Amino acid sequence: MDNAAMPDPENVPVRIEVTDGASIPDPKDPRIITAWSISLFGAILTLVLLCFCIPDRYVPIVKKLPEGIWITFQVTVFSIIFTIPLGCMVGLGRLSRFRPLNLLVSTYVEVIRGIPLLVQLFYIYYGMSKLLNVPAKVAAVVSLTFCYGAYMGEVFRAGISAIPKGQTEAARSLGFNRVQTMWYIILPQAWRTILPPVGNECIALLKDTSLISILAVPDLLRVAREHASTSFHYFETYTVVAIFFLIITLILSKCVSIMELRLSHYDRR
Amino acid sequence: MTVAKPIISMRGVSKFFGQMAALNNVSLDVYPGEKVVIIGPSGSGKSTLLRSINRLESVDYGSIFVDGYDVRAENAKINAIREELGMVFQSFNLFPHMTVLRNLTLAPVKLRKTPKAEADAQAMKLLSKVDIRDKAHMYPAMLSGGQQQRVAIARALAMNPKIMLFDEPTSALDPETTGEVLDVMVTLAKEGMTMVVVTHEMGFAREVADRMVFMDQGEILEEGTPGHFFTSPQHPRLKKFMQQIL
Ligand SMILES: Nc1ncnc2c1ncn2[C@@H]1O[C@H](COP(=O)(O)OP(=O)(O)OP(=O)(O)O)[C@@H](O)[C@H]1O
Ligand SMILES: [Mg+2]
Repeated sequence: MDNAAMPDPENVPVRIEVTDGASIPDPKDPRIITAWSISLFGAILTLVLLCFCIPDRYVPIVKKLPEGIWITFQVTVFSIIFTIPLGCMVGLGRLSRFRPLNLLVSTYVEVIRGIPLLVQLFYIYYGMSKLLNVPAKVAAVVSLTFCYGAYMGEVFRAGISAIPKGQTEAARSLGFNRVQTMWYIILPQAWRTILPPVGNECIALLKDTSLISILAVPDLLRVAREHASTSFHYFETYTVVAIFFLIITLILSKCVSIMELRLSHYDRR
Repeated sequence: MTVAKPIISMRGVSKFFGQMAALNNVSLDVYPGEKVVIIGPSGSGKSTLLRSINRLESVDYGSIFVDGYDVRAENAKINAIREELGMVFQSFNLFPHMTVLRNLTLAPVKLRKTPKAEADAQAMKLLSKVDIRDKAHMYPAMLSGGQQQRVAIARALAMNPKIMLFDEPTSALDPETTGEVLDVMVTLAKEGMTMVVVTHEMGFAREVADRMVFMDQGEILEEGTPGHFFTSPQHPRLKKFMQQIL
């Protein structure tokens, strides 16, 4: 009958390992010189120097590419907007005790994870444009959402199952039903835990939008390709594309990091 | 007290985890206003018994009635029954993403549709009662274990339950803070709350319990007043247990 004081499970911070996407800067790191700041300022500086030293080659590229950035941005934002709720539903479905739903969702995840995104893109794009005749941009958003919904679902699942069982028990014992418990107690806590990996998936998604240039979507990479094939400045063009992607990704990862900090207010001081 | 109808009535309750009976043909009545303290060695089924009362654990055999409601019924309004049963856990289980105040008001506001101002006022009253009013706007992680457990008690009380269930509420606390939680529980007992308490705090049992229950290996082996338990335990295993614990 030993009752050694148990450590309070609530105070053990849960972290989900980050695997791909971009590294999220540590929000509590006070240093000014970090890998993040070196990359960002290095990228900006390189771009400025290139435009300054070889303006006749680089300035037209920098002027041309923003129209592609706008498309990339739109596709990314819409995909993220649809992916997060889809991922939440997939995560919940994977945890559901209702077997048919669980099987359905698990199969979806299994299938999606087994097919390269590029193949999915082609498949959905040509499938959709054949059957429904939708614009390429829409097909791109649908494919990305479908694909990333599966990955995001795994993140949600991990985040939700990481919340201690005592939280559910406390809520249920107060009289909350399953749905209320999930909504008021579990998801808000899970959201905090999964924010870094969710941000990470979003950044990965942003980078994967470059694949849609294969379809007839005039995104950043596609615009760049067109410019390169007319100006023959391949190397210069792709240098700028790389720098643009890098800058956007770095800014996004900083945003995630700031959000993470703002959500951490209830941790121990 | 014995003329009243029991508010909790368990008959022939059994619960299996695989082959092992966590509860083995347990029957227990608790009367309104009564304080029942359950003791027993680790793994004897105390938590399982307590958790079966509000169906956090569903049992395999027997009947459980709470305030006239059949807890085991397929169509039991289990959430309504749970609102009548406050529960306090060993590990507090406060909601870490909410302030202390909101921990208390969430259930009344969402489940009882209590207006927020009213719920806040009632919560502040409860926080005064557990002597932690000044921490209302802090997050649970900023509080000590004893403070957290007092908040957890106040949170359970915020739903005005008829019965309070305590599962080793002080086992995760150090000796200094144990006292402050026990004080709150003694006050609650004096106010006439019906309480079922699993604890190893024999001082508390002696002071508060109307009846004590000894469990071992999923069975209730002995029931009696604290006087009986402390001076003349009958069952050999209870004798041994009391010797170890005192
Ligand atoms: N979810 C579970 N799955 C399998 N076995 C379980 C489960 N929960 C409890 N048990 C087993 O049931 C028995 C009774 O457990 P219970 O938690 O009720 O004991 P307890 O008297 O509360 O012990 P303690 O003093 O350690 O809290 C134990 O043998 C335990 O291992
Ligand atoms: Mg126990």
